[in-house]
Amino acid sequence: MKWRRLAATIVIVVIAAALQTTMFARIRPFDAAPALVLLVVVAFARHLPPEVALLLGFGAGIVQDLLADSPLGLWALVFTSVAFFVVRVRDRLEDDFSLIGPFVFGVTAGGLALFAVLGTIFGEKTLADAGIIKKLLLPSLYNMLLAALILPFATWVLGAARRRSSPFQL
Amino acid sequence: MWRPSNLDRPTGMFLGLLVLSLALVTTDLRASGEGLGSTLRDGAQSVFAPVERVVASATRPVADFFESLSNIFSLSSENRAMRDQVSELNRQLQETESLRIRVTELEALLNLEPPGDLDWIAAQVLAVGTSEFDQVRVIDKGANDGVGIDMPVVDEGGLIGRVVAVTDTVARVRLITDTTVHIAVRIERTGETGVLTGRGSGPMVLELFNTDAAVVEGDLLVTADGRFPAGIVVARVLESARSEVGFSLRTTAAPVAGLTSIDFVKVLVFTRDEATVGELEDQDRLPDSPSVDSGTQSEGDSDEAPETTTTTTLGGSAP
Repeated sequence: MKWRRLAATIVIVVIAAALQTTMFARIRPFDAAPALVLLVVVAFARHLPPEVALLLGFGAGIVQDLLADSPLGLWALVFTSVAFFVVRVRDRLEDDFSLIGPFVFGVTAGGLALFAVLGTIFGEKTLADAGIIKKLLLPSLYNMLLAALILPFATWVLGAARRRSSPFQL
Repeated sequence: MWRPSNLDRPTGMFLGLLVLSLALVTTDLRASGEGLGSTLRDGAQSVFAPVERVVASATRPVADFFESLSNIFSLSSENRAMRDQVSELNRQLQETESLRIRVTELEALLNLEPPGDLDWIAAQVLAVGTSEFDQVRVIDKGANDGVGIDMPVVDEGGLIGRVVAVTDTVARVRLITDTTVHIAVRIERTGETGVLTGRGSGPMVLELFNTDAAVVEGDLLVTADGRFPAGIVVARVLESARSEVGFSLRTTAAPVAGLTSIDFVKVLVFTRDEATVGELEDQDRLPDSPSVDSGTQSEGDSDEAPETTTTTTLGGSAP
């Protein structure tokens, strides 16, 4: 059962990456798309054991790195940091969208900002992008809205709701 | 006193993964687009392309629905703009026809051979980058179809980018709006040359040197001889500008190609080796600008030097 959930998580990360590069290439309100892989990492890191959540972040980051144009390991670093942050603060939050929504917004914006800063340090000129503010805020906003769909889905996939009173508590 | 044993297991693991990530980043950067990172990327792209094809076809109805929904709002204004465009194009067509006849006559008079058209490969955009920061597109044609590194990619509007990675079945195209891309361009109206630089999103920056002529809003920028064949339409100037004494002229220009809604594209079968590009840039086509000569690599990426072996001398032909 444990392995089945792990396999399901990996498949979902791959599908999220494929959706990001295909479907969200066409659905781009205000010329921006959600950061779906990052949202999946946040959603699953809420429930998984800390070590598994970190490995998920790292693995999802490597997948994104391999499909991106940035240096290999940059997204892995960002997603690992996001997973670690989620693992650290998940117990302090209630399973309430009024809290989780802004939380997802903040984590997404923070993750993207971290990528922009690290990208610039490593010579990618990410901060030189003319639309940097839009590229940080709009995906965060879309992630916040999509969280209403993806977070319960992750809870359902991992069977977390059946075992816990709050999905944030392990 | 701090000891490693004070760290709990998740924190230790987190730090280990951070170090591993940083090691990967530095290794990949040192390899400069070659080595393990490049091999892994090409392999991942080959493996992932079928998944992307399946997901793209499965989600097509959803994407179509949202696209048509957004089209409803923009349809009337788009219709009006297109009517204007049609009348403008009709006028330009008449002008072009008379110019074509005149050029043919002059060529015959001077015994010149007209430049041959470039071969091209039609391709469809399969996927985009995984984040908003990626200025790349994946096309469904690769080395098996004749696509090679450095080939220019255009759509019906103009230049989109150039091929930066190729597998057997797919290729990756870096868009002209990428912040690491610099393109040598010529203003079609005046013939002045300059450098066009991407800014990730939004308008690109045009820099001209040693120019007395003003740049006027609407001026068309085409590629100058360099890594790309000369004459491909790239962008249109957004703001008029005049150079000040001792300073370069700097203004903005919008790409002519529909970069956000790329569907079908053409890969031009054209590459130049580094030596030829260098020779062309040493001539007076690119002015002696310190920012071009020393800092960055024109018409390419400042951080990579792709190896191309084919030298094509077909120049002067628009796609």
